[in-house]
Amino acid sequence: MRGRAMAEITLRRPTSRPRLSRRVRQGFQAAASHALLVAVGLFFFVPFLWMLSTSLKSEQDVFRMPPTWLPHDNLRVDVGGKALPVYDVTLSDGSVRRMALVSMAEGRGTFVDPAAPAPPIEARLRDAQAVLVVSLRWQNFVDAMERSTRPGVNVNFFTYARNSLIVAFFCIVGTLVSCAPAAYGFARIRWPGRDALFMLVLATMMLPFQVTMIPLYVIFTTWLHWGNTFLPLIVPTFFGNGFDIFLLRQFFRTIPEELCDAARVDGASEARIFFNIVLPLSVPVLTTISVLTFLWAWNDFLGPLLYLTNPQAFTMALGLQDFQGRHEVAWNLLMAASVVFTLPIIVAFFFAQRTFIQGVKLTGLKE
Amino acid sequence: MQANLQTRPIAGPPRARPRWSPRTRRNLVAGLLFTAPWIVGFFALTLYPMLASLYYSFTEYHVKKPPVWIGLQNYAALGSDKLFWTALYNTSYMVAIAVPLGLLVSFFCAVLLNLKVRGQSIYRVIYFLPSIVPVVASTLLWLWILNPQSGLLNTLLAKVGIEGPNWFRNPAWSKPALIIMGTWGLGSTIMIYLSGLQDVPVSLLEAAELDGANWWQRLVHVTVPMVSPITLFNLIMGVIGMFQYFAQAYVFGTGINTTVGVTLGAPLNSTLFYSVYLYHVGFIYFKMGYASAMAWILFLIIMACTLLLLRSSERWTYYAG
Repeated sequence: MRGRAMAEITLRRPTSRPRLSRRVRQGFQAAASHALLVAVGLFFFVPFLWMLSTSLKSEQDVFRMPPTWLPHDNLRVDVGGKALPVYDVTLSDGSVRRMALVSMAEGRGTFVDPAAPAPPIEARLRDAQAVLVVSLRWQNFVDAMERSTRPGVNVNFFTYARNSLIVAFFCIVGTLVSCAPAAYGFARIRWPGRDALFMLVLATMMLPFQVTMIPLYVIFTTWLHWGNTFLPLIVPTFFGNGFDIFLLRQFFRTIPEELCDAARVDGASEARIFFNIVLPLSVPVLTTISVLTFLWAWNDFLGPLLYLTNPQAFTMALGLQDFQGRHEVAWNLLMAASVVFTLPIIVAFFFAQRTFIQGVKLTGLKE
Repeated sequence: MQANLQTRPIAGPPRARPRWSPRTRRNLVAGLLFTAPWIVGFFALTLYPMLASLYYSFTEYHVKKPPVWIGLQNYAALGSDKLFWTALYNTSYMVAIAVPLGLLVSFFCAVLLNLKVRGQSIYRVIYFLPSIVPVVASTLLWLWILNPQSGLLNTLLAKVGIEGPNWFRNPAWSKPALIIMGTWGLGSTIMIYLSGLQDVPVSLLEAAELDGANWWQRLVHVTVPMVSPITLFNLIMGVIGMFQYFAQAYVFGTGINTTVGVTLGAPLNSTLFYSVYLYHVGFIYFKMGYASAMAWILFLIIMACTLLLLRSSERWTYYAG
């Protein structure tokens, strides 16, 4: 290998290719790289556009063939106080007139000319072509949030969003108050049995939820009667979890040991060291944990599915799924609701981009 | 501190020498106090439920009445339960096809995102973003994209002259549909690979280049072995996650079935995955004993797969240093 490469180098050198060709080649490489990145990127990006586009379409526009990227709606014109849709109607003599549709029956429509509404003209709807204009139906978002999602039960997406926020908030609190001290105990206090116990913490991360799911359900619903409350979702977070303890421990170990030791020499208790030295230095990682916990709680589907059967208590994830399973699917409203559901996450991402990536990378480092 | 110095055992008669110094003992108390919530949680929310579900798996249990011991009957019944085998097959299909495919795509995307071009941070955001979309939202979005009549995908396929399959009615296409959907959300695997790629020493790649290795050879003979520990990690996580595949399948299965009524796993049980069936047995039929037996089999399968992967990894992973 080496010999051949050397030979190539010595062979090439005398010909001394002009500088320009190297620059051209680099330019070509960059262009090819961008082309590939964009091509694959479209796969990741286009679905977002489609979601947004659908969420702003009217009901007929959703199923219009072929679908358009920009949401369209009928051009409407005011005739006698009513906003009527405008059509291009091909008349029997072959001429095309732009008219408003007043009523229709059995494939025939009654049209009027907005300029001269006096004699209504009848024509087959087949000969009428709807005049479309680009229009974004923001009303969908209002409808999606305010519309009652279950007949007879007074709930809508605001109910679900509120429930999700409550659950997420207490999950964050629970995770922080339980995982941070535990992680400190594993990272900065030397005590017999610590490392064995920490292995156990790591081992629990491998345990599939299904193994504990059924007894937990029995404990929470038949023993404690916590069905249809948020307690089964919130209370466990107050007992810590392997993932966040691990993540925090990794961070705490980067805090110089000398800081803690100096405080110990001065007679500070572990609790004081934890509260006054370690926690103030750990704001970034605590933010990471909060964001990741929010993400997890906001996203969780199986937990709410097990414990919440009353629509009043549904979280967003459950409500959205329920809404979709129960109605003739109004895709525009469903997508609008999905946008509302996704938006907090996207916003959180842009505020804490580094935090997200850091969190992902830390998970990747746990071997 | 001072007290500590005074009570340090002095060389002398080794009688009743404390096993732990007071300082160690104090640390033990502090350590246990700091980790107490987790320890309590471990016993109450992990260990007890684990043992309880093992016990339930040998009983007939319908929640309302106390469990009745029936020995191995649940496990025997599983052997002749056709749906159980269907669910196991469907899950194995995803583990065997979707997981390796996902790793391959993730690695490829990470390589792209590691190219030295301008605007790379924007590409990284775009590739990552779908992975944080809540599962229910992304599944609903893909139900709409894959809609056979007016969905985006089949419309685009029609434009290039391909008649898109009926992703919802044809059992042969429902799992590929889920795989496409899963590929969209690979962002975090991609990012883990990317951070691995960034750790590959440039000197190694340059040395290979000097030796005349082209781009592809450098990728296969330097980069791939260097990130093999990350491949192992992603593989194990992927396998564990896929055996528990639930939310997407549940939303997908009920979503395409609104007109037929609630039967999970539509079409024709092709999306009846292990965890979906387990949920069905446990929380719709309330056969808790039977579901517990399923859970324990799942646990054993996952453990076996993980161990197998770890064992085999000695042959194909490379640890520098």
